[in-house]
Amino acid sequence: MLQKKICMLGAFGVGKTSLVRRFVDTIFSDSYLTTVGVKLDKKTLTVGGETVNLILWDIAGEDNASAVRTTYLRGSAGYLLVADGTRASTLDVARSIATRAEAEIGQVPFLLLVNKCDLRSEWAIPESRLDELTALGWTVRPTSAKTGESVEAVFQEIADRVVR
Amino acid sequence: MTKTRPVSQWEDVETTDPVANRKLLANLLLEVARCVDHEVAVKVPSALDADPRVEALRHILLEPEQAALARLQQKFDDPEQLAAAVGAVLPAAIARAISHDDRLGHELAPVIETATQSSIRRDPRTLINILAPLMGPAIRKSVAETLDGSLQSLNQALKYSLSWQGLKWRMEAYRTGTSFAEVVLRHTLVFRVEHVFLIHRKTGLMLEHVAAEDATTKDPQLVSGMLSAIQDFVRDSFDESALGGIDTLRLGEFLLWCEEGPLAFLAAVIRGNPPESLHGVLRETLDAIHAENRTALENFDGDVAAFVDVRAPLERCLAQQEKPTHKGTTPLLWLIPLALLLAVGYWLTQRYLDGRAFEDYVQRLQAEPGIAVTTFERKDGKWHLTGLRDPIAADPKDILGALRIDPAHVVGNWEPYLALHPAIALKRIQATLNPPPTVTFALDGDTIRASGTAGRRWIEKARTLATALPPGSAQLDLTALGDLQQGEIDRLRDAIQARPVFFGYGDALPVPGQEPIIESLAADLRELAVVSRRLGVAVRVTLIGHADATGRDAPNLGLSLARAEAVRSLLRKRGVDPELLAVRGAGPLEPLNPGATEQDRSLNRRVSFTVSILE
Repeated sequence: MLQKKICMLGAFGVGKTSLVRRFVDTIFSDSYLTTVGVKLDKKTLTVGGETVNLILWDIAGEDNASAVRTTYLRGSAGYLLVADGTRASTLDVARSIATRAEAEIGQVPFLLLVNKCDLRSEWAIPESRLDELTALGWTVRPTSAKTGESVEAVFQEIADRVVR
Repeated sequence: MTKTRPVSQWEDVETTDPVANRKLLANLLLEVARCVDHEVAVKVPSALDADPRVEALRHILLEPEQAALARLQQKFDDPEQLAAAVGAVLPAAIARAISHDDRLGHELAPVIETATQSSIRRDPRTLINILAPLMGPAIRKSVAETLDGSLQSLNQALKYSLSWQGLKWRMEAYRTGTSFAEVVLRHTLVFRVEHVFLIHRKTGLMLEHVAAEDATTKDPQLVSGMLSAIQDFVRDSFDESALGGIDTLRLGEFLLWCEEGPLAFLAAVIRGNPPESLHGVLRETLDAIHAENRTALENFDGDVAAFVDVRAPLERCLAQQEKPTHKGTTPLLWLIPLALLLAVGYWLTQRYLDGRAFEDYVQRLQAEPGIAVTTFERKDGKWHLTGLRDPIAADPKDILGALRIDPAHVVGNWEPYLALHPAIALKRIQATLNPPPTVTFALDGDTIRASGTAGRRWIEKARTLATALPPGSAQLDLTALGDLQQGEIDRLRDAIQARPVFFGYGDALPVPGQEPIIESLAADLRELAVVSRRLGVAVRVTLIGHADATGRDAPNLGLSLARAEAVRSLLRKRGVDPELLAVRGAGPLEPLNPGATEQDRSLNRRVSFTVSILE
């Protein structure tokens, strides 16, 4: 059996917690996020016939008052970076976090999830910016916590990439 | 070195004089002998010292050495230079000395002690400043541990010092000569290690988890991650260097002990009160795991297959100490004495309540006139009462009525007696005299007063009784009682007796014109019958026929009787009860007027009435 530590990172209120809630096993309440600043969930998948447990460290969102505790990133096999498609500023935060994450744990696989893709009409991030990031080698995936669109797929994708 | 020596025979080396040569040779041999034999050297002074050439030769031969020696001498003589020279080699010298053996340490110890003492004397702050960073945490830790331990044992000692168990343990401490605290610890050190997690420090991933039998946990992988996160949180939030993360965490009845290693940490979840030595067990286990799996731990990438071997040592950490169980006793067994206790309590309460109720009953009996209780006791589940009772007093069973006592449980042994109590005396008088409803009695202290009206005969009877009452008894006062016969009956009697019915000469029928008298007589007689019945008095009215003295006695007697019968008949016709009326013929024997005139005779021809009250 294989276990992998995966962090969920992003600005405050981008829907990290909502994104995984329906798709994971958990035993802890959301209050851990506000107290300890992290909450653990587990996602069991299969990669190449082998069972993989993704231990998801849902790290409290970053806002003006508090930065992400980079200590929690240590030992991560990869991470999911979440931005809110309706708030362009969250993409900046995501980029900033990615820089600090790389400084802390080096280059590990990660995906940029642009959440709330169910609200395309209110989309505030121009495609050109996402294309820029893709050009930098980032993998960008639109997701929706509300409809569940692509969520299973991104878990599978990050699992494939960290196991590989 | 620059001393000038006197010229000696050594300076004439090139002489050809044989004597001189011999002397030279002798001197040479003597010098050799001096060199060989120490005693000769002492006895014979050297001739060489006096020869300046020796000095010159020595100078030529030994000049470089002498220069070196001079430099050394100078270094020795100059303290500055000597200090510099020794200082240069001292560290190496000390290192060599220490590596060789520990004599240097021994030699230096007193010196260092003296130095430390003098430093403290001069300014203690220096040493404090040096030691503070070192001693602070050590002292804090030591104090905390000691305090923790003492608090723990104090808590337990307090908890157990006042109980039955505590007393037993005190006895045990006294018997075995150990301290009470030790005994308490020995008995209460009950714990169980329920879970042991081996967690990879860098990733927070669970390497292995073992649990005690029937201990449950939610997803151990997530628990491991969270424990790791909390350790990070604590280290991050506080001073990382001062704290190695969480060492002990108490969560209700659970205790979390963490042992930190460089690559992995152990988290033990313990229920109860583990001994300090368990820390050692965890520590050793973690060290052994590190030693055997260092490479695997360093290269861990999420595959736990490499750690199957750590299960056995982790399972050894699942130690426990059970509380000594009570032999063969189940909580259910406690129910038996409890039930017995309750039953006895119930029985005692009932018995007490019964006793109270019965005492109440006896009090009521004592208060009852005509009853005197002398003894009472409970025997064979029944109450036995002994005493005196006037037969006309109230029935003791009736008094029982209102109380919660089963009449079947009361046995009365009553001796009959005559009570003098006024209430009983009254009751007895009433029973004896059978008073008419017109009479009422009232108790006035020790006197019974009768009031109302009654027949003369009854009054007479009452008077007889009143005089016959025993001394000391209540007295019967009849003065307020009215005599009935003085009233209505007397009036009717007088009215009836005052009106005779008159007859003509030789006639057996009344003289005409007397109908109104007969009518009024009949009315009075009817009333008499009613009144006498009402008063319960037996009355008899005798109609006496009379004749005058003329003629013979025998016909006169018959005539008088006929006259009485005639009047009775007339009265019957007018509704008078014949039972009330008796007739008698008196002939001429009871004349109204004994005179012989016609007037007198006509008054004697009559029917007179006698109303008598029967005894």
